Amino acid sequence: MKAFKLENEPKIESGLKTPEHYFEDFSSKVMQRLPKQKPKVIPIFQKRKITIMMVAAVLVITLMVPFLINLATKSKELDENTLENYLAYQSNMNQYDLISELDSDDINKIKTPIELEDETIEDFLTTNPNLEHLISE
Amino acid sequence: MQEEKDFIQTLLDPKTQNQAFQQLLLEYQKPLYNHIRNIVLNHEDADDVLQNTFIKVFQYLNTFKGESKLFSWVYRIATNEALTFLKQKAKKSGISSETLQNNTIDNLKADVYFDGNEIQIKLQRAIATLPQKQQLVFRMKYFEELKYEEISEILGTTVGALKASYHHAVKKIEAFVTVN
Repeated sequence: MKAFKLENEPKIESGLKTPEHYFEDFSSKVMQRLPKQKPKVIPIFQKRKITIMMVAAVLVITLMVPFLINLATKSKELDENTLENYLAYQSNMNQYDLISELDSDDINKIKTPIELEDETIEDFLTTNPNLEHLISE
Repeated sequence: MQEEKDFIQTLLDPKTQNQAFQQLLLEYQKPLYNHIRNIVLNHEDADDVLQNTFIKVFQYLNTFKGESKLFSWVYRIATNEALTFLKQKAKKSGISSETLQNNTIDNLKADVYFDGNEIQIKLQRAIATLPQKQQLVFRMKYFEELKYEEISEILGTTVGALKASYHHAVKKIEAFVTVN
């Protein structure tokens, strides 16, 4: 049997043929399949970080709600001085309006016995410029 | 070399990317098709693998460091795609890679895109008996007529080792054809 020698033989072609016109539309076929925009890669730990931060934010807001409500309630309360100053300088109320708002309980509450010494009455009467007017009344 | 660097820059620049990629496609489609077809043998499979190769090249352009030539980088992707494709095809069919390759050679005679006679079929059968690396080296050297230096860059093997590999492949093929 004659030994086959590749180098002694004429070049053996593979025999594999390409279909006619195959390359004519190949590039456009590939261009259509190319991804339009590369997907943004977000590392998994970053995703987890965002989730943790969101949970923390919700927790903080939830815990702050009672404090905020309390603060809002407190801010509506007026202390006595502010009320008195408002009534005295800012409002159009006069003493008769105030008196009309008082009921018998309020009057009883402000009824406090006043003990005055003679000297005090005398001092008041001597220093008061409308003494005559008061006496005539 | 500078020309290649400039071309890579146009490939990476979003403004010029599409035009540059089209140029790359036109330049590489034929040699890459032959390279892939020689591995997978069937035209339909070669078409699939070639398209996927170019899509991978586009997707990984940003990772191309320019340490190797664009030519060898593209060929490396094509080779890996073709080998992976064959492995997956064999796995899907539930047969070994060797059986798949023999079946494909059996079908060559009926393939409309195969124009060969007994000697071509016999040569393919002889190649199929070689280890995968020797098959690759033989096909790239004998059919594609690539230089050893080019094959060396693509496969990451020294020229000396490639020459030895090709020599062994030729001896085995000659022995197979003589006996059969």
